[in-house]
Amino acid sequence: MEVSEPVLLILLSLAEQPRHGYAILQDTERMSEGRVQLSTGTLYGALRRLLEDKWIERFKEQDSSRGRQAYRLTAQGRRNLQMEVARLKHLTRVATLRVARKET
Amino acid sequence: MLSLYRSLLHLYPANYRCEYGDEMMDVLSEVQAETRTRSALARIFYGAHEAGGLLYGALREHFRSITGSYDVFSRRRFAMRSEFRFPKATVALMTVILAAVIFAIEKAKAISASVPHANPPVGHIQPAQVTMVPTLLVTMICAIVAAVIGWAILFALRRSGVQQLSEMNPSASQRSGR
Repeated sequence: MEVSEPVLLILLSLAEQPRHGYAILQDTERMSEGRVQLSTGTLYGALRRLLEDKWIERFKEQDSSRGRQAYRLTAQGRRNLQMEVARLKHLTRVATLRVARKET
Repeated sequence: MLSLYRSLLHLYPANYRCEYGDEMMDVLSEVQAETRTRSALARIFYGAHEAGGLLYGALREHFRSITGSYDVFSRRRFAMRSEFRFPKATVALMTVILAAVIFAIEKAKAISASVPHANPPVGHIQPAQVTMVPTLLVTMICAIVAAVIGWAILFALRRSGVQQLSEMNPSASQRSGR
């Protein structure tokens, strides 16, 4: 599955703790410093895809009076996220070296 | 605004709406409540953003329900349903057919040029502007009719249970049968 920036932000939001839809929207906006503002339609499209690929799972919040649906990472989702973060780290390291070499 | 969101949610496939409709309305209500304190311009922006997201989401879900994939330009073989696959040979065959049609047209032109004939009398030629509008209208109506027929066929196939059959997992049913 291709991990776009919004999907990566959703996964990072759920990596910290399980969250419900609106909390994910707020957290992704906070993490990207307002640059990524997901709409509800886009968020649920991404969530459904992640659910189908078993990267995340859906459950009913016990402590919520409204019994809202929340989402959390699965073990497979966490593994895939770690791989994606490692890939980005490598890319950042290479990019930093290349840019520094060009400047000197 | 919430009623607009609710009506836009009706554009989603029914099974998607059953699964996520209420949850999405909850989120949309919370977004709406949060933007209530902002300026009118910001509220318009958020409204358009959410409405656009819902429209795009509905389109994606319908596309997925027809093709079985979210990838519009997937590298994988295009599949309308899992049993309705276009084989790779289709592209080659279509190219051959196109080449044959072009060849036939060229041949007809050559025959027409080689055989001497008197030009038939040509009547009054109407200006292009006059004929263009009705032609475009007729083309548009034909396209709409073709789209409706296509959609009806897909809808009928869906209703007839072809999709359910294609999504059956024989190994899972065998396992549960044991």
